Amino acid sequence: MPTTRLNLLNGLWAVLVKDSLCEFRTCYALSALFMFALISLTSISMSIGVVSLPAQLTAALLWIILFFCAMSGLSRVFVQEQESGSIVVLRIYASGQAVIFGKLLFNVIMLFGLTFFVIPLFTMFLNVDIYRWPMFIMILFLGDIGIAATATITAALVAKTQGKSALFTVLTFPILLPQFLSSIGATTKILADSQPDMSEIMFMAAYNVAIIIASSILFDYIWYD
Amino acid sequence: MVKIALGLWISGVVYAVFSMVPAVEGLGYLVRIAFFHIPVAWVAVLAFFLSAGWSVQYLRTREIQYDRKSAVAAALGLLFCLLATISGAIFAKLTWGAYWNWDPRQTTIFILLLIYGAYLVLRASIQDEEERARISAVYALLSSLTVPFLVFIIPRFYFSLHPEPVLNKVGKLEMNVVMLYVLLAAVGACTVLFWQLFECIVHNKQRSV
Repeated sequence: MPTTRLNLLNGLWAVLVKDSLCEFRTCYALSALFMFALISLTSISMSIGVVSLPAQLTAALLWIILFFCAMSGLSRVFVQEQESGSIVVLRIYASGQAVIFGKLLFNVIMLFGLTFFVIPLFTMFLNVDIYRWPMFIMILFLGDIGIAATATITAALVAKTQGKSALFTVLTFPILLPQFLSSIGATTKILADSQPDMSEIMFMAAYNVAIIIASSILFDYIWYD
Repeated sequence: MVKIALGLWISGVVYAVFSMVPAVEGLGYLVRIAFFHIPVAWVAVLAFFLSAGWSVQYLRTREIQYDRKSAVAAALGLLFCLLATISGAIFAKLTWGAYWNWDPRQTTIFILLLIYGAYLVLRASIQDEEERARISAVYALLSSLTVPFLVFIIPRFYFSLHPEPVLNKVGKLEMNVVMLYVLLAAVGACTVLFWQLFECIVHNKQRSV
């Protein structure tokens, strides 16, 4: 048994470091994410050849790829703990808030890494020109946080079910949908070289805040029986 | 007794829809579908919020009866939601020319269907009763969080052909008085029908346990 309980920030950091270390050792989730991204991007590019697509379609493709990549790897944070049985130990050492925010931060970092990898390939394979980089990065940043935040709390939910990976997508999609639609809308405007509305950006930020607060409150009900 | 009264009420509404409601300009007698569609859609949304409400109750008190109520409300909600979607699609085909065109209303009802479906699949996949209650309650609350965002985001995205809701922004009633009363009666009948089914199923479940 632990003699002292870590405070929130230290606990959060410990969870993040632990997850990163485990991931670094096996590279399971990371390689799954990257290979998934590579395969989906190139399969689209192969099938359409060198034709450049309309902005709306390209924006939708980008977010669909990011969403399904996230679905292939992000549930691991909780599913793996559950499968290996280490969730019991984690429950002894860390408070619920430290766990949820640590895992959330880990997922956000993973998704940022993935986006960083996908975007150059995306512009290359699909023949896209982007002129407003700061705004585009802002949208990617907010959209990624939205996907990661939703995926983290639903991963905690599916960890205890049967048929985890199939259920993960089913549960995440309806919750993420408002964010998903507004990211596609904003990205369409960027790709068509026009400025997205400030209200769209505000909407995405507000959605992220709401999801993070809700998962922080609701996670305690899952974590402590 | 209640069942007989409800049966009379529903047949009264059906009679009124077919004999008293006048044809409407532009829609003709197709407007009759609305007397089925609006009540059913209203119950679908009501059941969603009831289910979320009982989830809160469950998380606060940890009494399993609230979880059962939440599950029954969601299952009935799915049924009514399907009926609303189908009747809406038929109406759309007859007036707009296509069963489905992602009108904002169609999008929102579709998301509601997805949420109901996800909730019930989640319930089906957990064996332990308490665990199932806890996890599905959390999911119900999480999904109800999206509702205000959807109300804000969806209308901005697509142009809507859906007729203005009865309680529209202007607060003006664009309806014949007879139609309004028949509609209110239909909504009432549908809500009572939902409640009767709900009580009956919950009662049976309670007894079988």
